[in-house]
Amino acid sequence: MSDQNGFEPRIVAYLCNWCTYTGADLAGTSRLQYPPNIRIIRTMCSGAVDPVYVLKPLLDGVDGIIIGGCHPGDCHYQTGNYKTRRRFVALQEILKASGFEDERIWLRWISASEGQKFADTINEFVTSLKELGPNPMRQALAV
Amino acid sequence: MIGLIPVENSEPLGAVRSLLRQLLESGLVEALFVPLEMESGAITPALVTDPDHLARANPLAPAMPINSARAVSALTGKHSPARLGVVLRPCELRALVELVKLQQASLEEVTLISLDCPGTYEWAEYKTLQQANGTNLTGYLTKGEAYNGHGLRQACQMCSQPVPAGADIHLQFFGADLVTGIPVELDAGLAELLEIAVNTDAAGADRQAVLDPLLAQRAQTHQHDLKAMGEHIASNGGLPGVFETCIRCYNCMTVCPICYCKNCLFSTAAFNHAPEHYLNAARRKGAMRMPGDILLFHLTRMNHMGLSCVSCGMCTSACPADIPVGLVFSLVGEQVQAAFDYQPGKDVHEPLPLVTFETNEWVEIGEVR
Repeated sequence: MSDQNGFEPRIVAYLCNWCTYTGADLAGTSRLQYPPNIRIIRTMCSGAVDPVYVLKPLLDGVDGIIIGGCHPGDCHYQTGNYKTRRRFVALQEILKASGFEDERIWLRWISASEGQKFADTINEFVTSLKELGPNPMRQALAV
Repeated sequence: MIGLIPVENSEPLGAVRSLLRQLLESGLVEALFVPLEMESGAITPALVTDPDHLARANPLAPAMPINSARAVSALTGKHSPARLGVVLRPCELRALVELVKLQQASLEEVTLISLDCPGTYEWAEYKTLQQANGTNLTGYLTKGEAYNGHGLRQACQMCSQPVPAGADIHLQFFGADLVTGIPVELDAGLAELLEIAVNTDAAGADRQAVLDPLLAQRAQTHQHDLKAMGEHIASNGGLPGVFETCIRCYNCMTVCPICYCKNCLFSTAAFNHAPEHYLNAARRKGAMRMPGDILLFHLTRMNHMGLSCVSCGMCTSACPADIPVGLVFSLVGEQVQAAFDYQPGKDVHEPLPLVTFETNEWVEIGEVR
């Protein structure tokens, strides 16, 4: 994967089975175009994404990580995504305080009917990561 | 209420030992957890059932071999098996409160005894202090003066909470005139059982006058040290730079009062990588440090215990690679604690931030910016 600039961000996407994963499916069946930079991992709930699932790829040099979940109030398990939100806040604060680029980690609420929003979000994420450049952790020795 | 424990021959330690003895002999507690001073001079926390052993109790020695909250977790579990008295420093008490919230300890039937804590020394430093002459226990206890002119552990130098909150028996050394007695704050029922009379004049007259400059000094050091660490992180290649000398010995995790997992993720097979894993990483990066997974370990630990970090600094004391682990964790911990407006160890009834939520908070997160 490389364009004229030579940099194509690699993205790991953790998508909730009930909303965002189905939304991504809808984007596909609706033939919506979005860049092929994401590797999707389906989880049963955004609340099942342990912070270590985010930290490991981030430290291994993945350029971006996106967590997709149901809109607040719509969680299949009632409250999973509210907990995701708090965990996300904590993780972002920890990364910011320890000098990492928190812009590499996104959380987005995308429902099963929002195929267009899914495609737009991935486009937006890829564009923003191209501006940010490659993850310095990819080359960092002392990780 | 405030009362006074009589001090004889200007020996505050003797008065504290008598109080502990009284607690145990009266049956108020069936066992007492307190640091003992061993023949060698070592300060060793122990669970005492025979009052005679209290002759060597020394909770005033400025040494802190472990954060005892961990020990109290082991002693109480889900339900304390007996009425226990535990003598803890303020940071140990805060850590214990967090462990209770994490369901790793119980305060039922536990009498918490704490004291104004002027700070502690690294073990090696304390050992040399013991051998030196002219140690100034009274000045140290009542004014927070350096014990024989030596510097405290770094976490103690920047400690903003040297006064315990939520103790059942609180020995108020700061500003006290130890010739007459040790001011003690406790509830009326407990005071009656211990035959301590109400004495409103008992509170050290100079308490505030000692506490204010001490806290101001600590706050200044706190701000200065954290700022310096923040700048260090920003200018030395971020967190990887700070942990360059880490040997992943897990000492910081072992001594951390909050890290309680019986099976740490990092000791599981998930981190038994195949040899190819390292070669692939080296090929990708050009070079791969060993041991690996250092930052993943520290960042995961921050995620697990950062919100509950009480800044006791045991991790720094235990680090063989001279990394200011505690300073990094305090810096990061305080930032994440501030985001949730959470103060670890303050209130045992306040839920941990990550086990609760509000539906109408951070509504901007997850939406297009």
